[in-house]
Amino acid sequence: MKKIFAIAWKDAVIRFASKSEWLFFLILPITFTFLIAGGVPSGDDDHRIRLLVVDEAQTSISQQIISDLENSSAVRTEIVAREEAESQFENRRASVVFIIPAGIDIELLQNGSAEVELFQQPNNLNATIAERAVLTAIRRVSSSISAAQNAVNVREAKQPFASGAEKQTYFENSLEMAQSIQKDAPERVTVIESTTPDGIDYDPRTNTSAGQLITWVFIPLFGISALFASERQGGTLRRMLTTPARKSTFLFGTISGQVGMALIQMFLLVGFGIFAMKLNWGREPFALFVLLFASALAAAAFGTALGTFIKTTGQAVGLSVMFGMLFAMMGGCMYPLELFPPAVQNTVRILPTTWAMEGMLDLGLRGGGLMEILPEAGVLLGFAAVFFAVGVMRFRYE
Amino acid sequence: MKKLLLIGIKDLKLMFRDRVALTFMLLAPFLLTIGMGFVTGRFSGGSTGLSDIPVVIVNLDQGDLGNALEDLFNSEELSGLMEPSASSDPEAARRLMDEDKAAAVVIIPEGFTRSIIPAEDTRFSQGYVQPEPVKIEMYTNPSSPTSAGIVKAVVDEFISRVEEGRTSGMTSIVGLMNDGLLNPLNAEKEASKLFQNAAEAESSAITLKTNIEGSDAVELDLLSYFAPGMALMFLMYTVSYGGRSILAERAGGTLPRLMIAPTQTTQVLGGKVLGIFFMGVAQVGILILISTLFFQVRWGDALGVIVLILAAVFGATGWGMLITAFAHTPAQVANTGTVVMLIFSVLGGSFIDLENFPPFIQTISKIMPNAWGLDGFTTLALGGTLKNLTEPVTALLVMGTVLFGVAVVLFNRNGLVQK
Repeated sequence: MKKIFAIAWKDAVIRFASKSEWLFFLILPITFTFLIAGGVPSGDDDHRIRLLVVDEAQTSISQQIISDLENSSAVRTEIVAREEAESQFENRRASVVFIIPAGIDIELLQNGSAEVELFQQPNNLNATIAERAVLTAIRRVSSSISAAQNAVNVREAKQPFASGAEKQTYFENSLEMAQSIQKDAPERVTVIESTTPDGIDYDPRTNTSAGQLITWVFIPLFGISALFASERQGGTLRRMLTTPARKSTFLFGTISGQVGMALIQMFLLVGFGIFAMKLNWGREPFALFVLLFASALAAAAFGTALGTFIKTTGQAVGLSVMFGMLFAMMGGCMYPLELFPPAVQNTVRILPTTWAMEGMLDLGLRGGGLMEILPEAGVLLGFAAVFFAVGVMRFRYE
Repeated sequence: MKKLLLIGIKDLKLMFRDRVALTFMLLAPFLLTIGMGFVTGRFSGGSTGLSDIPVVIVNLDQGDLGNALEDLFNSEELSGLMEPSASSDPEAARRLMDEDKAAAVVIIPEGFTRSIIPAEDTRFSQGYVQPEPVKIEMYTNPSSPTSAGIVKAVVDEFISRVEEGRTSGMTSIVGLMNDGLLNPLNAEKEASKLFQNAAEAESSAITLKTNIEGSDAVELDLLSYFAPGMALMFLMYTVSYGGRSILAERAGGTLPRLMIAPTQTTQVLGGKVLGIFFMGVAQVGILILISTLFFQVRWGDALGVIVLILAAVFGATGWGMLITAFAHTPAQVANTGTVVMLIFSVLGGSFIDLENFPPFIQTISKIMPNAWGLDGFTTLALGGTLKNLTEPVTALLVMGTVLFGVAVVLFNRNGLVQK
């Protein structure tokens, strides 16, 4: 045990001999988690999509549309001149521009020939969401006009109006009535974002926190391969084997040291999530420990196996970063898995990062406990067993 | 000039002999680009995970409106987007969602239709009390926020149509009754008729004309964004790798040897910088060529692409030189280069569209070659030409010039190029 601890401590000392290690160990993971989760103050806390609005009509109708958009939970309106909007759009500083041309008034709406314009950047999710918000707003405004117009038609079918003025008055009264009915319409949909017994609130930053944690912990664990390569290249591995320490002791000491450091890193990042970002990581500490431990073992095992296929430290560093980033991307650490095509969602189950991420989301978002994360932990331990077996069998001491 | 070229080409050759460097410069960005292709659905006909969204409909209402909503989810129009399943047990439906087998559960409670369209002869009868609105319940899967959001949008759209019908019907009926043209006893029948007509009619007082930029000319290929994104990310590794070679030459004694040759100091340093520039151009050029051959990525105006590559590499080279000027050992350059590469890639838009970042980050990104390079590549992919690249190309050239100037001052101060 003492030997194992000595080897682990030696690796820790070597690793942190360079101050820059702290950058990768703690500073960058925390910075990226914070930034990607939208932690930077932007002057306001309005995270709605920016919608440039050009109001050339300046009528009560255009004001109604804009007012409706201002109440939208999806978009944040910014009134600008047409030239400014076009310039921003052309330079792709704005994803969507809404133009209400001159002449949009009640009369035009009554004739049913009013047309407004929306310019969208292609393949842009924000522009698509903004389009829905604009459609909802113009639908609300135009539906009250349509309702009033319909009321006029129904009334005229029953009994013609005596004059144009009477017809217009009837329209205006009906419009007022329609708007009042619309305003008083009750809420008809209730959304419950969590059905978990303890009622965990959905927090999208949980995804970011989990994803960044897995990414930044897996990369150095894959880098165990570099440790072995460095010892082999430097001849220290051979020297170590002349000491009265067994090969298994050396292997176990090196791997357990790296897993131990990974666990410390994980808990520091989890602590940041709990205290700085107020995330749900502290709810089931034992389940979290089981999952993180299984994840660290799986990643360390992959690093050990990788170490048997490479010759130099340079190769090991390059490959561990490359595999780390690739596994993180494909495992849902950067983008939610729900956005992947269905076939890819199934295929990426061959990666340990996918299972680690799923387990973290079970704990952080779905209100799961130990029982819920056991399948993921089991699969991760399975990964660990397979890769350790490959690594130990193929390990070259010379 | 010949000496400059010789030194530059020598460094380029050395790079192509370094298998580790090639892994990082070419293989890593290529594999990540393939990954992005899979993630975005580029290799599966553009279909993403946002199709066949599993949603469970629990229709306890069985009235006209409840059935209409259920039919909407099962309609041809939503067949590609939704994969609805029916259930009569709310608890079983929620369990399915808890097991992550559904993105959302929509429960239409009993009496939903009746709360909007009351039974005959009730609403306009004396003593009628407006019932409490019966709400549709939506349970959303917290780990599928986007899919759940789409389901909610469909429900909201349906409710909005229902409200339109209700508003239209009520407005007409109240108007007729105020004018004494409708007997309250017949109001309900009339209202139902009007509601049906209004619900079926499309509200067309205002039409929305949508213009998707570039959709007529060029549809943006996602890989024409992500492939250069990955190439620009690892370009930062390449320029720091080149910078490292300057310090490695000094440590190995070959740099002083170059200095005592009949070659000016500026030629030596210029040749090294040219070598870094060549490496960057080779890396980005090869990646773009591979993406074109393997994935048929449409890059747009060829001249624009060439100019943009040269400008982006020039800007990145400036950063490489600055990092080298501040460092004392090759290892420091490597570490700093990796940190800069990661920061620039995440905050420069290589992985996440800059639009999703707060304005503060968008402003910071202007010092990163990744952001300007991606801006230019996207412009070209959308049908732009060289004349549309004035802003990014100018920014990259200014960036490279300023950083190179600062680096030269620091080199002189540190005595790096002294004989």
